[in-house]
Amino acid sequence: MDNISYKEVNEDVVRTMTKTGWKYWVALILCAGLAVALWGVPWGYQIYVGQGVTGLNTPTFWGIYLANFVFWIGISHSGTLLSAILFITATPWRRSIYRSAEAITFFSVLTAAIFIFVHMGRPWNFYWTMPYFTTRQLWVNFTSPIMFDVFAISTYMTSSVIFLYFGSIPDLAAVRDRVTGWRKPVYTYLSLGWRGTDAEWHWLSKSYTFFAVFIIPLAVSVHSIVSWDFALSMVPGLNKTIFAPYFVVGAIFSGTAAIVTLMVCFRKAMKVEKYITLMHFDKLCMLLLVMSLLWSYINVVEVFSGWFANTSAENETLRYRMFLAPHSYMFWLMILTNSILPLLFIFRRLRTSIFVCVVVSIGINVGMWIERYLIVATSLPRKFLPNMWHDYIPSLLEISVTVGSFFFFAMLFLIFVKVWPSISIYEVKEDIGFPMRKGFKRH
Amino acid sequence: MSGILTRIKDKLKSYRVPGYRTKFDYKWTMVVDLDRCSGCEACVVACYAENNLPVVGKRDCDVSRRFSWIRIERYVEGEYPDVKVKFIPIMCQHCDTAPCEIGCPVYATYHNQDGLNVQVYNRCVGTFTCATYCTYDVRRFNWFTYKWDAPLEQQLNPDVTVREMGVMEKCTFCIQRIRVAKDTAKDEGRKVTDGDMQTACMQSCPTDAITFGDMNDPNSKVSKLAKSPRRYRLLEELDTDPSVIYLKRVMDDKKGSGNGHGSSHG
Amino acid sequence: MNQPVLGLFPHVDSMVEAAVGLKDTGYTVTVFSPIPLGDALDPIVVRKNYIRYFALFGAFIGLFFGIILTLGTAALYVLPRGGLPIWPITPTLLLTYESIILFGVIWTLIGFFIVARKPNFGKQIYDPKVAIDSFGLLVEDIREDKIEEVEQLLKSFGADEVNRVEKS
Repeated sequence: MDNISYKEVNEDVVRTMTKTGWKYWVALILCAGLAVALWGVPWGYQIYVGQGVTGLNTPTFWGIYLANFVFWIGISHSGTLLSAILFITATPWRRSIYRSAEAITFFSVLTAAIFIFVHMGRPWNFYWTMPYFTTRQLWVNFTSPIMFDVFAISTYMTSSVIFLYFGSIPDLAAVRDRVTGWRKPVYTYLSLGWRGTDAEWHWLSKSYTFFAVFIIPLAVSVHSIVSWDFALSMVPGLNKTIFAPYFVVGAIFSGTAAIVTLMVCFRKAMKVEKYITLMHFDKLCMLLLVMSLLWSYINVVEVFSGWFANTSAENETLRYRMFLAPHSYMFWLMILTNSILPLLFIFRRLRTSIFVCVVVSIGINVGMWIERYLIVATSLPRKFLPNMWHDYIPSLLEISVTVGSFFFFAMLFLIFVKVWPSISIYEVKEDIGFPMRKGFKRH
Repeated sequence: MSGILTRIKDKLKSYRVPGYRTKFDYKWTMVVDLDRCSGCEACVVACYAENNLPVVGKRDCDVSRRFSWIRIERYVEGEYPDVKVKFIPIMCQHCDTAPCEIGCPVYATYHNQDGLNVQVYNRCVGTFTCATYCTYDVRRFNWFTYKWDAPLEQQLNPDVTVREMGVMEKCTFCIQRIRVAKDTAKDEGRKVTDGDMQTACMQSCPTDAITFGDMNDPNSKVSKLAKSPRRYRLLEELDTDPSVIYLKRVMDDKKGSGNGHGSSHG
Repeated sequence: MNQPVLGLFPHVDSMVEAAVGLKDTGYTVTVFSPIPLGDALDPIVVRKNYIRYFALFGAFIGLFFGIILTLGTAALYVLPRGGLPIWPITPTLLLTYESIILFGVIWTLIGFFIVARKPNFGKQIYDPKVAIDSFGLLVEDIREDKIEEVEQLLKSFGADEVNRVEKS
């Protein structure tokens, strides 16, 4: 980033927000339309008719919706957690990607939170799970893992929104100075009257450090808690002590892969190749490689400890998951995409090849979705009493809702890049360095 | 001063050790003698009639959504002609350390003072957690709002709620009958004893395989039956502490291993 | 009537030198910059970190809130479930952990608003150039006859532009 001037950064970022081509509108309308058609309408039908329209049955009460919930929570672990860790460790390559990564966090947590309501039998009573003061002499059960979820996810959503907004205040001010029309009052209020004085910068960076410090343990706890939804049951295949680290590692893994995929699209569509460079992909792919190795290790431990326990229930679950069609195909596809393909990233040349990055990162996300699906859909059909065993096949409606959630997420991200400075202006400038009389001085 | 301290200490202790495993008013227990069970499913039919269970039809039965709160599990071992068929009626086990109760975020299922695992339909939001955590697969979910064709709605039991869509339900040990028996006994100033009430399944069992009563009463029939050497509880190794006691069926086993029902299926 | 003067510098080091010079003469200086200058500003002003008290306070509030919520309400609504005590240890720790973080984050934000006096939509001295590539040095408390001198000084340190500014 040597040949970029400060002024260019402002112009480029404001350009991504104000200059909108027809392709953007087509993409946005397409995503919004498909999100409504594939998610909104079927969900409305499901609320009206009942959960019976899904493929759920008596032993398999949790299906694809829960898999989606865990998947989207996992995607969310890229942004805020990665951003906070890289901030604390003062890693320079964080600066041009973290803003959009944090947006990914917010939107995927939002999607995940909606999936909780999608999977509920009576979603109109969702507020009963909140500990609000009521005169009905009813309260919430704090021993329930679902209750942990309510706390963890609401805390996580609040904190990551604050983290995202807080880091953007100076950029919103910079945007405020350069826009006209309806945008002017909006950004004036959003930037809270920011002027960029030394005192403001001081308090901003101090507070930001605290947010980062708060958010790292929070993000780790959130996915551990999500894993306890499963691990606190007695169902063979779910009752695993290793689930918490397994889910956290898987979350960072899938989240980073999602960042890679989205960054490729983003830099191409917005023509910001000079800010999101091959160096960023190099680093992100290294992270993917490490996470892939960790994930593979934990996966082996999970299977091994199940096999080593050698109880009939556990053995049946493993057999059902790994060797019986159709789940065996999914299982071994997952091993291919999550454990074998990322090994390509050992080579530097492949790490900096956009094509390989896209293929492998999409593969990882497919694999991670399969992992979550298999956890739910191969454990519950094989509970303790063989008489009740029944396979789970998702209905078309459930699949449609799943596909729709991706369009919903894409729609939110498309809106984001137009209303928010999606590359951090001031931190890219930090990356360029301080302008001194003798040229730029980097940190 | 020390009196107040002891009282605080006792109060604190009561929050850690509530004692609801030992201090129940009643400890309702069901004993199922598998030696007597013929697998006739009369109990299942009686349960449908008593508890307003909807009949869901062929399509939903195919995808394992039938509503029977009590079911007869049938296991066939061996090849013809050397076949052994085993029956075991399974209903909610009313576990004292129930996994379902831990999972519910809104206390829709909890333990009451009679040692029953109860389900509050109005409170249920349908997160499925209880059913997922249940190790016996006895919980049933209202996938749709089920309707009874006229004039069948006339035969619904007025003592039992008709549940709406999105609500989890399960065997209640015929809690409506327990309530009536307790009220009557209270009016007469005594505790409920054997013969005051029967559950629907027990009432309809032609072979008297099912016995129901209060385990806290040492003279009740269930207390005596529970001392049987044939006694076992389903999936006892999971430490759910069920309130349903099975009496093992004594089978003629040529190999002489004598391994009967229950945990061997796990 | 004080007339504030804002000098816009293209370079950080010249701005810092000018600021040090003016500060030693006894003027109040405020630095505007498009990026956080961090310890480059140490010669001008060293600030304490008050945010941490807010964060700590928030964390304590969260601790008490979490404990009162989980233990207190469980004691009010005694409903036995799953053979667990009414006051279970692990869930209490977990929910308290979450509420510590939630309140810590919220109070850090409140702390920022208080110490940085945000939001502020009133009239302030500001030049949009400092959000792009200029480093501004605002000098206030200048006596009427010294304005020229300060302007000359800023220029001699390498300011591109020196403006007499008003609150806007």
